Amino acid sequence: MARITIIGGGVIGLSIAFECQRRGHNVTVVEAQQCGGQASGAAAGMLAPYSEIEEDPDDFFRLCQKSLQIFPEWQEEVKRHSDIDFEYNESGSLYCIYHEADLLSLETKQAWQRKFNVESTILSAKEVRVKEPGLSRDVVAALWCPEESHIYAPGYVAALLQACRNLGVHVIENVGDATLDGYAVITKQERIDSDQVVLAAGAWSMYWEKELGCTLPVYPIRGQICAYEAPPLNHIVFTSQGYLVAKANGSVVVGASEDIADFDTNVTEHGIGRLEKWSKKVMPVLEKMDPFHKWAGLRPATQDGFPLIGKLIKKPEVILATGHYRNGILLSPITAKIVADEIDQVPQQIAIGQFRPDRFQAI
Amino acid sequence: MTNKLTIAGKQLSSRLFLGTGRYPNPYVQNKAIEVSEAEVLTFAIRRVNLSAPDEDAILQHIEKPFQYLPNTSGATSAEEAIRIARLAKASGLSDWIKIEVSQDEKMLIPDPIETLKATEILANEGFIVLPYTSDDPALCYRLQEAGASAVMPGGSPIGTGLGILNPYNIERITEKLTVPVIVDAGLGSAADVTQAMELGADGVLLNTAIAKARNPVMMAEAVKHAIHAGRLSYSAGRISKKKYATASSPIQS
Repeated sequence: MARITIIGGGVIGLSIAFECQRRGHNVTVVEAQQCGGQASGAAAGMLAPYSEIEEDPDDFFRLCQKSLQIFPEWQEEVKRHSDIDFEYNESGSLYCIYHEADLLSLETKQAWQRKFNVESTILSAKEVRVKEPGLSRDVVAALWCPEESHIYAPGYVAALLQACRNLGVHVIENVGDATLDGYAVITKQERIDSDQVVLAAGAWSMYWEKELGCTLPVYPIRGQICAYEAPPLNHIVFTSQGYLVAKANGSVVVGASEDIADFDTNVTEHGIGRLEKWSKKVMPVLEKMDPFHKWAGLRPATQDGFPLIGKLIKKPEVILATGHYRNGILLSPITAKIVADEIDQVPQQIAIGQFRPDRFQAI
Repeated sequence: MTNKLTIAGKQLSSRLFLGTGRYPNPYVQNKAIEVSEAEVLTFAIRRVNLSAPDEDAILQHIEKPFQYLPNTSGATSAEEAIRIARLAKASGLSDWIKIEVSQDEKMLIPDPIETLKATEILANEGFIVLPYTSDDPALCYRLQEAGASAVMPGGSPIGTGLGILNPYNIERITEKLTVPVIVDAGLGSAADVTQAMELGADGVLLNTAIAKARNPVMMAEAVKHAIHAGRLSYSAGRISKKKYATASSPIQS
């Protein structure tokens, strides 16, 4: 049994805590502010790698696919240990196109994803309308992926936190900045001696570069989202300009921008206005409605688009799990399992070499 | 030799055309574009929000004015390419158009007949036409005669990074054509870019090689230098290849 201290109480940090504590370790989570307060709580909760990854059958795609596959059982476990229910909807998705010329790219994607046993069907405009009557008549075709799903992210994160507490994880919030001293994590209040430190600092990872002695090119990208009280959609709806997803609470969530705005988490007129205008072109019923809720979160984007997951070669007391960008919710179970396997020195089930945290330039 | 590339009367200081797809995020995209010093940006019209291009998911991040070269990728016939081109022009995006017509979802090899047809019609309509084509010297010549303002032969299939598979053909094309030749598609690294320029290309178009590099910003800088090095080397005139050694210090007799 190892003493594990996790820095960062977002969906990644909490998932790692949940997995490690279940494997018999003694876990502490330290969070600068409130758990799930950043990208995690702001997420629309889509579990949709087949829609989002268009070009590359690479290791990142495999990582996403594996996480999607283990999600049904994982979310059951979170519900069981937390005794909190949250929406998990195996709705499938429609990737809608507005130009016939986009058909070729749907066919290309379908062809390579088929090799990974991804189920999908190209639907004609007529078939789209049968499945999703509320969509614009400008949609000319769609790729239907029945295996994709979505989750209510704030509910999921709250349940994860409760599950961790129920299992005996020591969660400390509002600690402010923390530092390292070998295997110990130092906060203003206390020194936490550990056998393993896990850094899951999301968009704030760059602040650890000096301390860890390696480049961590993780940038904050603001995602603005808004929500309408609108009639439901049966599927997640993707377009080249954004997505719409209906939640069980009666809202339709429209996302998301990708803004370069440093650490600013305010919504902007331009950012939300753009979503509003586009969403009406997707779902005409929104034409006369205004969003009742607008919010933003900072997503940790990386220099090469891959997350940073694994042990630092020169500082093996630290494991990184950050840089999940738009896929933190989806990748939470697989990241938790990879980190726990690293700690338990169990062979990994999938290739993680591309995600080495020290793959970037030396300082 | 002038240092400027001129296409349809427009002088360009950079010989790099850059695609805007596939970057890991807008921050890296903007930095890479900035460092590359490219002045021409290309993107798929089918992906763009034509009713409000400045609100488009990708284009909204582009900061300073660029020469846009929208492309017709996804078109499978001349008719479709022409329709897409007209949409782009009507939206005010640009009257430059990169013709891209393919019927092959696996190789994305450009269709020669449809590409030629679309080039002729759009050039006659007053578009500045830059067709993406296979590296066939006879076809490239025909595209020039059909009114192309520059011709863009591929080094290898899009996104493969296989570099220039037929340098002989590329060199024949750059020798024969009087309009600029931009080597488009398949270039994977700075070495490939230098080779294209040494073969006499007037410029190169890249996307994946930069966007999917581990460090896209650094690769953008490498490519910028590679274009400069290749162009200088081409202009300087390389030595001929010989079978046997020649001492670089003459032997005194």
